Amino acid sequence: MTQERMESGEIDLNRFNQVFFEECGEHLAEMEQILLSLSDGKPDEEQLNAVFRAAHSIKGGAGIFGFQDMTVVTHIMESLLDRVRNHEIPFTTAMIDLFLEAGDVIAMQLAGHRDGAEVRQEAVDQISSKLRQYTDVKTAVIGTDATETGVTTATDTTSDSQPGCRLFEMEFTPDPDIFKRGVRLEQLFLELEQLGELTINAEISDFPDFGTFDPEMCATCWQFTLKTAASEEDIREIFEFVADEDQLDIRVVSDTQLSDALGDSALTVDLAGIQAPSARMAPLPPSDNVTCISPGRRASDRNETAPGAFGRRSGEADSSIRVGVTKVDQLINQVGELVITQAMLAQAAAGVDPVQYEGLHRGLLQLERNTRDLQQSVMSIRLVPISVVFNRFPRMVRDLAAKLGKQVELKTFGDTTELDKGLIEKISDPLTHLVRNCLDHALELPDVRIATGKEAIGTIMLRASQLGGRIVIDVIDDGAGLNRAKIMGKALERGIAVSDSMTDDEVWQLIFAPGFSTADAITDISGRGVGMDVVLRNVHSMGGRVQIASESGKGTRVTISLPLTLAILEGISVSVGEEKFIFPLSSIVESIQPKPENLKTVNGRQVVHVRGEYITVLPLYGMFNLQTPIIEPDKGILVLVEVEGERAAILVDTLMDELQVVIKSLEENYRKVEGTSGATILGDGKVALILDVAALIDLGKNWSDKDAASLIE
Amino acid sequence: MQEEQGSLQQQTGTGVGEYLTFTLGSEEYGMDILKVQEIRGYDAVTHIANSPDFLKGVINLRGVIVPIVDMRIKFKLGRADYNEFTVVIIMNVVGRVVGMVVDSVSDVTTLAPEQIKPAPEFGSALDTKYITGLGTVNDQMLILVDIEQLMSSPEMQLMDVPT
Repeated sequence: MTQERMESGEIDLNRFNQVFFEECGEHLAEMEQILLSLSDGKPDEEQLNAVFRAAHSIKGGAGIFGFQDMTVVTHIMESLLDRVRNHEIPFTTAMIDLFLEAGDVIAMQLAGHRDGAEVRQEAVDQISSKLRQYTDVKTAVIGTDATETGVTTATDTTSDSQPGCRLFEMEFTPDPDIFKRGVRLEQLFLELEQLGELTINAEISDFPDFGTFDPEMCATCWQFTLKTAASEEDIREIFEFVADEDQLDIRVVSDTQLSDALGDSALTVDLAGIQAPSARMAPLPPSDNVTCISPGRRASDRNETAPGAFGRRSGEADSSIRVGVTKVDQLINQVGELVITQAMLAQAAAGVDPVQYEGLHRGLLQLERNTRDLQQSVMSIRLVPISVVFNRFPRMVRDLAAKLGKQVELKTFGDTTELDKGLIEKISDPLTHLVRNCLDHALELPDVRIATGKEAIGTIMLRASQLGGRIVIDVIDDGAGLNRAKIMGKALERGIAVSDSMTDDEVWQLIFAPGFSTADAITDISGRGVGMDVVLRNVHSMGGRVQIASESGKGTRVTISLPLTLAILEGISVSVGEEKFIFPLSSIVESIQPKPENLKTVNGRQVVHVRGEYITVLPLYGMFNLQTPIIEPDKGILVLVEVEGERAAILVDTLMDELQVVIKSLEENYRKVEGTSGATILGDGKVALILDVAALIDLGKNWSDKDAASLIE
Repeated sequence: MQEEQGSLQQQTGTGVGEYLTFTLGSEEYGMDILKVQEIRGYDAVTHIANSPDFLKGVINLRGVIVPIVDMRIKFKLGRADYNEFTVVIIMNVVGRVVGMVVDSVSDVTTLAPEQIKPAPEFGSALDTKYITGLGTVNDQMLILVDIEQLMSSPEMQLMDVPT
């Protein structure tokens, strides 16, 4: 019984753990991304806050879920970050590396908990002590205890570390009707706080009797002490639109007076906790002194739920919901059904007199618009910007380049290009491989580059763009380019048939052979030859294509083209006899009605002459064994298609419609059908097959001459 | 009757169950009712290119694409007519949905194991390995088909050959 309960308890915890792991991974990724973007320049407040936030969230989560080991590094890191963003410690570029390293250690610990991967404790200790060094050297407080130490200690260290500070004492007597002008004092306090160390004292000795008290009037006089390196002018600027000259009194005082000012605090209120001073003050007895002590700008001590805590602007908070992919897919499927139903209705209504049933037609039109909008919104749920993938490359390139002694600049374009989530996950590995190849093989060492008249810094460019119904991702480098002779040599070694008459394109295709590598030595980065064939296979499995263009000495471009989504397809429906088929729009070049004089026969096969080019005619009815009266190309329509540089003219009876179709799997209940990539349901509820043009062209090639000849007769 | 039911319940295990009976040509067949999802009339199908002749094509069953096979063609039983009485049994077999065209669906019968006799060799148009036995109901012979085995067999060509 107890055992059972324990087990169920563990299962529950595991479920939550999963959420933590996911979030933790995201925080780490975010942190890394920001850190990398800092590379040289000075970080702005917001960036530091974001990194701090990420570290803090990881620490918090790890604590809650009982991964104490993870809190250690994050805690020290958080302390250091906090100091940096409070300008107690200057930010140095060395810190970027340090934080990145710390991120890696945390990731390692995370992997340890999630997958049971090995955790190297010495790495944890190492980074902890490194981080501590930074915190310790600059301050008197021992690193780990930094956040735990009381307000006073923190105050002391700050004053020690900022010798150029002056202590200001200010008195601000606002207009009684200042609140009516819409002035928010807490905003003012926050701004003052940015300048340095602030204590606020609300002097309410002139408070009116409770009977005559008007909560909308300000009866408070505020006394501030501010220790800051800023000038009096800076302070006055903050008060500029709030206080008139005579309402504000600023004096410079010495350090000794500070302790008096801090002295007898009757009531300590968290600064962030003050929402509306007027409302807060109202119930207090008039004789009490209210002292608001700002606890030294240590955000981790503040009320974390208050707006503005952690430097998070209110409203900026991530408003997203975590939803299972299966739910989204279900939604997409159902909307797909709705689209079909809508199309069925539209078809049924087409036969109804539009004058008599005007209302019906209007309603159906609206339905069509609404369903289309709905479909688009639902589809967009699954779309994710490709920056998710691109973002992991700066780090990789940075590390690898350092390892290889190469100088590389990574440029990314089209980061916002959106791609189906499923594809995003799958494209990451092939892209990683390609970028790695660029670094290891393509780009030369700096001195070699200079010798060949190039800039010492090589460039790797990642470019994503949407081209019709496809997403095109280019990986471009300005390295040495592919070496034709070397590839041919290696191919010969491996027993692949090559000849000197092969075109460059054909030679480049050789590198996709399994186990192919031209690297002279196997490194831990690449060279084992398990690469390009995997890239090709992965991309093919997504319905994508890979192309290579290369010029010796100039560089290489690998182009991956992927379908926008796996669920919807832009297509043109055609008919052959009784049957309808869908051509993917992306593969169609044009469609023509050929003149008899443009039709020729080559080797018993029909070709069509289109603008100086002879293109093979593939009759769909012949390949699919369909009955149709139209067997002469000049009686029907030739759909010119192009896939991977290959062209064909496919003979169909007529073109029907351009439409968006929901792709349905044939394999779910049946099996793959040659020459098709799936099926869809048309407006009339009937099933139509979606043609796979590449497979169709292949099918056409193997189509025996006898078949062709018999058809021509 | 009650006695019969009692003995049925006693002999839990193999073979006890309800069978959907249907006719193909002049022969009466039975299949496990639990495999049946629904029964519907024959509708226009979309033909699949280069498929065997007994695969009539695919239909849209409420958004799911379902292949339809005609066992009369497959086993050369009677004439493959399609009229208003032609029935399609939609079945769930090995995690798939498949439709089977039959001449008619007659009844649902309960059979006890003692009512089921082993099938002789060459007993029917079907290969004996797909026949679990011969049942007798009201002096009529019923050929009990292991529909799961049959539909997933390579000769039906309904599934991709695992590579």
